[in-house]
Amino acid sequence: MNILELQNLKKYFATQKAVDDISLKVERGQIFGLLGPNGAGKTTLIRMITGIFYPDEGQIIFDGKKFDPSNDVAYIGYMPEERGLYKKMKIGEQTLYLAQLKGLSRKEALTKIKQWFIRFEMESWWNKKVEDLSKGMSQKLQFVTTVLHDPKLIILDEPFSGLDPVNSNLIKDEIFNLAKNGATVIFSTHRMEQVEEICDHIVLVNKGKKILDGTVKQIKQEFKENLFSIGAEQMPSLNGTAPFEIIGSKNHAHIVRIKEGNSPNDVLHYLLQQGVAIHSFNEILPSLNDIFIKLVEGTPTARQFQKI
Amino acid sequence: MHKIWLIIKREYLTRVRKKTFIISTLLFPLLYLLLIFGMGYIAKESVQNLKVAVIDSSGFFSADRLNRLNEADKSSTLTLITQHPEKVIADHKQEGFDGYIVIPSINWKTGSDSLFFKSNKSYGSSSTVTVEAKLNHIWDEIKNDSLQIDDSKQAILSASHIGLQSKNIKDDKANVKTAEGIGYICGILIYLILLIYGSQVMMGVMEEKTNRIAEVIVSSVKPFQMMLGKILGIGMVALTQFFLWIAFVFIIYNIGKFSGSGGMANQIVGGMQNMFASVDVPLILFCFGFYFLAGFFFYSSLYGAIGSAVNEDMREAQSLSFPITMLVIISIALMSSAIANPTSPVAVWASIIPFSSPIVMMARIPFGVPNTVPWWQLGLSMALLILGFIITVWFAGKIYRTGILMYGKKPSWKEMLRWAFRKN
Repeated sequence: MNILELQNLKKYFATQKAVDDISLKVERGQIFGLLGPNGAGKTTLIRMITGIFYPDEGQIIFDGKKFDPSNDVAYIGYMPEERGLYKKMKIGEQTLYLAQLKGLSRKEALTKIKQWFIRFEMESWWNKKVEDLSKGMSQKLQFVTTVLHDPKLIILDEPFSGLDPVNSNLIKDEIFNLAKNGATVIFSTHRMEQVEEICDHIVLVNKGKKILDGTVKQIKQEFKENLFSIGAEQMPSLNGTAPFEIIGSKNHAHIVRIKEGNSPNDVLHYLLQQGVAIHSFNEILPSLNDIFIKLVEGTPTARQFQKI
Repeated sequence: MHKIWLIIKREYLTRVRKKTFIISTLLFPLLYLLLIFGMGYIAKESVQNLKVAVIDSSGFFSADRLNRLNEADKSSTLTLITQHPEKVIADHKQEGFDGYIVIPSINWKTGSDSLFFKSNKSYGSSSTVTVEAKLNHIWDEIKNDSLQIDDSKQAILSASHIGLQSKNIKDDKANVKTAEGIGYICGILIYLILLIYGSQVMMGVMEEKTNRIAEVIVSSVKPFQMMLGKILGIGMVALTQFFLWIAFVFIIYNIGKFSGSGGMANQIVGGMQNMFASVDVPLILFCFGFYFLAGFFFYSSLYGAIGSAVNEDMREAQSLSFPITMLVIISIALMSSAIANPTSPVAVWASIIPFSSPIVMMARIPFGVPNTVPWWQLGLSMALLILGFIITVWFAGKIYRTGILMYGKKPSWKEMLRWAFRKN
């Protein structure tokens, strides 16, 4: 069952096709990575999903029904990249206010805030002001205000920017926890190492179009270049019949590419016949970072203004 | 609706609980009184006590006359120089004078318009006017003597005259002086509220934008609700402040009335009773409430739109809001002319056209409804102002929706107009 389905979504601005015909599906309980370089259209896409923008064309299906911003936003928690809080307002009051804006009653909100504040060790913050907090602390607070109303869909735009490793892990664990309890998380970033670690499914957008869609494993398989790392004392000199070629060597580790029509077994067979002592044999899968760069490279780094 | 209410509550409470609100509510009336009395005091104090040498060739100005006058009025000292006038002319400072006047031999029937108070410094007219008055006093005595007018005739001459005031025969309570005063106060109060609270709306919107909380909020509520909540919340703050001031006046009035002692307090209470008797207090209060709120909606939505369009930079906000502030200032200029002549075409139209009507109409109403301001004018003015603020709020909402999420360069008015007329 999909919590969210986008069908041929389009949003054009005066000088840019910010989102140009994007369709995708997000399954319930998934941690979904929305990736793309700066200016790819991620924020515009998210703003349509959160009801801030209306799409020019296309449909959004939320939880099986046509998306109705005025009611459905209560089930969405959104932490934008450009985030902030009222600096002069007391933290307790502010959290209560934001929770009530999401439709919680005062009583419900208070109970939930207490639970979260205890979990994140923030009880002593209640009467402090946001301007008294460090950047990491206010980030934590921002996260709490985003997930406080138990949203079905949580959208986090660069949630780890500015966080130290300890707090990063705290939030990461919380994200896993929320997903385990049935919430769906859309996670927008351009930090690939986090994506590999966290996301089940990713979509890559560039210049307003979707250029990649699949699970992390599928995508890696799709972009693999038949590279293997072989640990051996000495590699034999190769002739034309060898099923692979050596790309590079360093300290008894040799990176080889298997030629078209051969399998890893052929490589091992060949090496054994040559009497090579093999320590290790591993497939090298491309990192998402490499795939990202490969796909996005060659397109201008900044989007150009265009006439529509 | 529930969400707008939450926003109004937040905007209201965060402002009313601030120390600056409490202090400004208490201090503003005090400062205002201080300003009025202080200005009078300063003006009085800055007049200089001049020592003037009088060198007389006409023979009319005797030392006796000058001394008598110096006794009666100590604001300046005139001394007749009989010996060595050339010394005074050469160096009046050395002789102990601030300056000198040379009076040529003049005829008592013609006098002279071209006498000079000569000095090596410049003195303002407020200082020399007392000297002039003294000389004229003596000149009057000389004329009276020459025409053989004795003191009893003189008393009749100075006492009997004709005074003229305008009287409205349909409204015998009307008192032009009081109406002018009340009109002026109402107009200025609305002017201050529009500027002070209008810019508060602008600053509030800018704060939300620069703090980057705007996007968090618009994912829960519509931008229009967000803007409307802010305007209504701040409007209620202004209203609260205003009611507190009225309450102060009421309390002071009653204390003055029941304590019953002290000439000053009695005078104030008496003055206020006269004032209340000569105008329609409930109507003025009702109209004030209406023009205050409607005018506030009209202007603050425009200020809000500007706040949403600019970035952190205060100067951008100032340059963009200049045309709006100009409209308020033009209204004040129109108000002065409307008070001087409340039925002139300029006054009538300025009190009907929405941008100036909150200030100008409020200045005209104390002159009397329906005699000075016919009912149709009041009705038309109110209807147009309501229409006006509906349009500005709608227009501002459109700009706000786009502006609040836009960062980067400051938009021009032209771009903002395009935002307003873009579909969805």
